[in-house]
Amino acid sequence: MAAERRFAGLRNTLILLLLWEIIGQLGLVAGGALPPPSDILIRLWQDRGDYPGHILATLQASVAGFVIGNVVAVAAGVLFALSPPMLRLFRGINIAAFALPPIAIAPILALTLSGMAPRVTLAALGVYFVTMTATVIGIAQADSRAEDVVRAYGGSRWKVLRLVQFRGAVPSILAGLRVAAPNAVLGAILAEFGGGGRWGLGTYLLGSLGRGEPDRLWGIGLIATLIAGLSYAGFALLSRRLLGATKAVTLNAAVPTGKDDGGPLWARIGMALATVALPFVLWWALIKLSGAPAMIAKTPGDVFTYLFLAPSAETAQAKLLAALAQTLPITFIGMVAGLAFAFALAILSKLSPRFISGFMPVALITQTMPLVALTPLLVLILGRGTSLTLWITISVTFFPAFVTLAQGLALVPRSAEDLPRAYGASRWTELRMVTIPASLPYLFAATRLTVPRALLGVMIAEWLATGRGLGNLLNQSRGYLDYGMIWSVAAVSVILSVVFYQ
Amino acid sequence: MLNRRTFLGTAAAGIAASSLPFRAHAATPLTMQAAWINDAEFAGYFLAMDQGYYTEAGLNLEYLSGGPDVIPESTIIAGRADLALTTPDTTIKAIVEQGAPFKIIGAQYQKNPIGIVSLAKNPINTPQDLIGKTLAVPPVNVISVEAMLKMNGIEPGQVNIVPYAYDPTPLVKGEIDASLDFTTNVPFTIQQAGEEATSFLLYDFGYTIYNDTVVVTEQVLAEKRDLLVAWLRASRKGWEENLADPSVWPPKFADTYFKGTGRSIENELYFNAAQKPLMESPEGYFALTEDGIEKCLSALGEVGIVGNTDMFDTSLLAEV
Repeated sequence: MAAERRFAGLRNTLILLLLWEIIGQLGLVAGGALPPPSDILIRLWQDRGDYPGHILATLQASVAGFVIGNVVAVAAGVLFALSPPMLRLFRGINIAAFALPPIAIAPILALTLSGMAPRVTLAALGVYFVTMTATVIGIAQADSRAEDVVRAYGGSRWKVLRLVQFRGAVPSILAGLRVAAPNAVLGAILAEFGGGGRWGLGTYLLGSLGRGEPDRLWGIGLIATLIAGLSYAGFALLSRRLLGATKAVTLNAAVPTGKDDGGPLWARIGMALATVALPFVLWWALIKLSGAPAMIAKTPGDVFTYLFLAPSAETAQAKLLAALAQTLPITFIGMVAGLAFAFALAILSKLSPRFISGFMPVALITQTMPLVALTPLLVLILGRGTSLTLWITISVTFFPAFVTLAQGLALVPRSAEDLPRAYGASRWTELRMVTIPASLPYLFAATRLTVPRALLGVMIAEWLATGRGLGNLLNQSRGYLDYGMIWSVAAVSVILSVVFYQ
Repeated sequence: MLNRRTFLGTAAAGIAASSLPFRAHAATPLTMQAAWINDAEFAGYFLAMDQGYYTEAGLNLEYLSGGPDVIPESTIIAGRADLALTTPDTTIKAIVEQGAPFKIIGAQYQKNPIGIVSLAKNPINTPQDLIGKTLAVPPVNVISVEAMLKMNGIEPGQVNIVPYAYDPTPLVKGEIDASLDFTTNVPFTIQQAGEEATSFLLYDFGYTIYNDTVVVTEQVLAEKRDLLVAWLRASRKGWEENLADPSVWPPKFADTYFKGTGRSIENELYFNAAQKPLMESPEGYFALTEDGIEKCLSALGEVGIVGNTDMFDTSLLAEV
């Protein structure tokens, strides 16, 4: 059965590739702007001399970011698992780390850091949340009987942690690392694209964009996909070797919460305030530590002054509000569209697993292919209107939502499905009566995952194609050296993502 | 990449430094921030580095490439570079509105190479031709285009401005009618795609500004004046040699400065030849003439950026 499934998946992938080749050869899409796979491979071979230096630089930045991000994440995860109050206190920071849109952060990093630092930081930010969550969950799920044994023999808190909890958490942490590894690669490439280094796949992409040669752009995307895929597969293999088992891609939709242990009202209010304040304190501290001059590096206080107190505050507010009015409605529509697409896919994966196993490789490419390389093609097919924004938003939102929903659907108890079947219900009735209602809780989880990504998708579309809203304001502000606005847009987009997530 | 020439140059400088231990300015570090990734726009600097002209002038030059997220002015404010190549509109706007402590000490392009590029079969030869058309502009350059339109009596609303995402494919395929880019660069790409290109400079329609202005902070100007003069001298020498015959040098950088940029040497050759007339001045490369400064300031004044001649310091070039 498994072999048959694998074969079907391979066959569907081959059919898709063949279709792509024919469409590309005949120039059917966008007047030939979609190159056939054979052209992409030939071009890769011709460019083979260029790649080693770029791949090496991207690997250096992503490995450094991966290591730093994960060390911090595991340490934080252990701390949070041992101390629920700490987890509650850092909740604001954790959500911000999860929700912050990389394209708003990349310019900020380029402003305040130098050399490899922006690349490493963006890569580390991409892994922190995934690994931290996996660590907290892994430790929380440790076998309590084994903990009792260690305690009964007089083991200290530290011994319990070391002998039982941490060991028990290893599978979960490894699963986290697997999902985190491609994030590190993508973060590094994004920072390379903007940051003005000499080497790196992102730099190569930027230089190649101006040449109007789609086969080169797809080749770079393919290599990026390959690195991300290999890093994922590497950790999958490692966990299989270590643990003898492997799990499917899983994502944690929820930021772990420390259980509220009641306590007096003033203490809870104090904790809530501290949770909200901490991200701002961290922001302020990082600016002070970086030693970047006040003109370019703005603290939370500076941004507040810029937006509310300075003589130019009124103009700045008007610009920001106008941009928000353009960005927010389409973000909601995009979120709904992304969820609907993910939901349809999840249902389809239940009805026709073969179709999905053929579709998954394509879906994975859409997740690792740098969007900036695809934009010209998308613009040619879809124009620069709402449909383009929606498609970009769907493409960045559907994948995590789909994985969450598919996980939910897979957990529907078989006995619940068997009941309608036994009464002769059709597949569709079964789906309607059992599967869809059972997946609703996961739909809510998926919604939380989707909102920050929808904002990211819309900002990317605005930046690259439509020239409206927050994404455009961010870029135009750079042309005016309007540092206050650059920071304001970044801060507002992070705050919005956090608020939506809540 | 260390080739023989730079190796010999460095070795010679090393010997010079060790035999004259008290020569204070032997290989003093100086850092420059370029405006974009490595291409022919910076060929003169590459030549001067390759030929050891900076080393001869007592400079140990560190060269930082640019990119879309790099604001060159930010790098010098942060002290990560001593000088930066900037667009004068953003620099002067920052001085006027934020009191940024900048001085312009030279200008690489006497005429800004930015222009409107279109296909010969759907030509846009004047600003008036843009009315009712779709024009792709990088978000950071919208300020320049709106200025040029205003000078030619066109309301910004009469032209459909969309973002330009670095790729000329939409122009070649006719999705947009024109794009704003370096006229020294994009026409080549369009030819490669099998189309004829036509273009005009914003400069020729009233937006008479420099580009790649050499900018330093007042503090660096006070502390490193000699080094900046030495940099200008060596850079001018590099540009003179590079543009004496624009076809000579770009191929020599194929395995060094231009390696793996994703661009072709033919492209750099086109670029190098096309930029020559935009850089030349009777007073030599980097010139800041009274007339040039006046034109730059008056064009910026039209869009509400009111600068003055104090923002320029021409005295360093006078020493070169």
